[in-house]
Amino acid sequence: MQTSTEAPPAPETLPPGVKPAIRIDSLGKRFGPTGPVVLDNINLTVAPGEFLCLLGASGCGKSTLLNIIAGLEHPSEGTVTVTSGSAAVMFQESALFPWLTAGRNVELALKLRGVPRSGRRAQALELLDLVNLADAAHKRPHELSGGMRQRVALARALAQDRKVLLMDEPFAALDAITRDLLHEELERVWRETGRTIIFVTHNVREAARLGQRVVLMSSRPGRISNEWRIDDTGPRRIESPEVSRLAIEITDQLREEIRRNAA
Amino acid sequence: MLPDTAQPASSAVPRSGGAHDELRRLESGLDALQTVPLTEKGPWRRILDGVLPPVLLVVALVVAWQFYTVIAQPRPDLAPGPLNVAGSLAELWNAGRLQEAVLTSLARGGAGFLIAVAIGTPLGLLLAEWRLLRRALGPLLSGLQVLPSVAWVPAAIIWFGLTDATVYFVVLMGAVPSIANGLVSGIDQVPPQLRRVGTVLGASRIELATLVVLPAALPGYLSGLKQGWAFSWRSLMAAEIIAMGGSIGFGLGSMLQQSRELADLSAVLATILVILAVGILVELTAFAPLERRLLRRRGLTPGARR
Repeated sequence: MQTSTEAPPAPETLPPGVKPAIRIDSLGKRFGPTGPVVLDNINLTVAPGEFLCLLGASGCGKSTLLNIIAGLEHPSEGTVTVTSGSAAVMFQESALFPWLTAGRNVELALKLRGVPRSGRRAQALELLDLVNLADAAHKRPHELSGGMRQRVALARALAQDRKVLLMDEPFAALDAITRDLLHEELERVWRETGRTIIFVTHNVREAARLGQRVVLMSSRPGRISNEWRIDDTGPRRIESPEVSRLAIEITDQLREEIRRNAA
Repeated sequence: MLPDTAQPASSAVPRSGGAHDELRRLESGLDALQTVPLTEKGPWRRILDGVLPPVLLVVALVVAWQFYTVIAQPRPDLAPGPLNVAGSLAELWNAGRLQEAVLTSLARGGAGFLIAVAIGTPLGLLLAEWRLLRRALGPLLSGLQVLPSVAWVPAAIIWFGLTDATVYFVVLMGAVPSIANGLVSGIDQVPPQLRRVGTVLGASRIELATLVVLPAALPGYLSGLKQGWAFSWRSLMAAEIIAMGGSIGFGLGSMLQQSRELADLSAVLATILVILAVGILVELTAFAPLERRLLRRRGLTPGARR
């Protein structure tokens, strides 16, 4: 595994003929006309099928950026283009509908996508099986553990059948053992389904473990301050020395960014 | 609960490799460790736990009351004992007036409540979704909820005379604000995250309302309905006590008032007990099971918490 550091980040160069999955051009965001600038001049291109981790301290606007890509918020300036139209989103809280079973939660996503009633149940079971939860289809969210709920949420996000999957700190509230397993699960699903994933996190190791590319954002205003590319040589583990080495490097930079905010 | 050896029969996507099986087994093991089976009480146990304490208390109170009348020997017209009250109850029953009063009041209370639901529900929806209307009408509605609906009785009698319309008007003024406000607060308490998920999943406005917001607001709506019923029943009794005669039928409130005019205290007490009993019975048979079911499905009852 090799890492490369480029500062400032150059625009992504894709192989000729490949359209980017997401393209962000000089995007800026401020809340209200006189509010503080949250995001400033963000330029980012994401290749189809790429696993990109968006990393930053609290308040760097990474979640805002994700919401803008998802279409839940609007940029104050600049443009965002999601080539496939729209994106699926997964949040930190599973946000499953508590009155529906796990299976029905997935079925609702299929219904809103326009899948005819006859095919929904089988398809929902298939998706739940993809996250190893086919046996829990009849259970309600409150009967599931936190990790299981997030897997149902992942199945629901996959049910949208969008090429792009946006994830906003989806594993932040889980214990370390569960999180470790879900990293593996997510990586497997990513390899199996070929989705483009943008994964927002404040966990450096998580970013180094999962991403093909890690983008570091600085805070106030949120800008892209650096990025690392990680050669994909197959699944890696969070304990491995390469991940640790990269995590140390990124953490040093992150601390540098945070220090700059000291009075 | 997943036993950690179980492999789903519906394995639709073919997969390769032992690494994935390994992960599956790991996940199943962790799932099994992290989920605790719900231990739910059986129906008999629940009835025993829920019914026994209040019944015992009532029995104890009645026994104490009987002891008091036997030992202190108070004037029976000022402090009748339980036996006198039971006697009055039997008398009213034998005359057929008790049955008539209960049926009349229940029918009116039920019909008034249903009309209140039919008016209060769309009103609540409008208030929850239309900001301007809410700012204008919201405080007024909350005020109406505080205003004792009995205050409307004199006005209603002047407007509608001694007819059933008077009774229904008072019931509606009591129940509609509760139901509408219950729905509004239910909708207000829908976690914004659920709406966002609905939007992200591609729900239209209508779909968002019917598939996400309304089901999520159901617990709040139900408690609004409960309160609405309580207000209906109270307003009905008030209206029946004050507005008697004319074409107004003979309800429990009328029976209460009639017994007072006859200075028959044990009949008055008997009627109060019947009014109380009907209220408790409706709560126990209609609302409590509905609420328990609703909350249990969402994991909100203490008994079903993990």
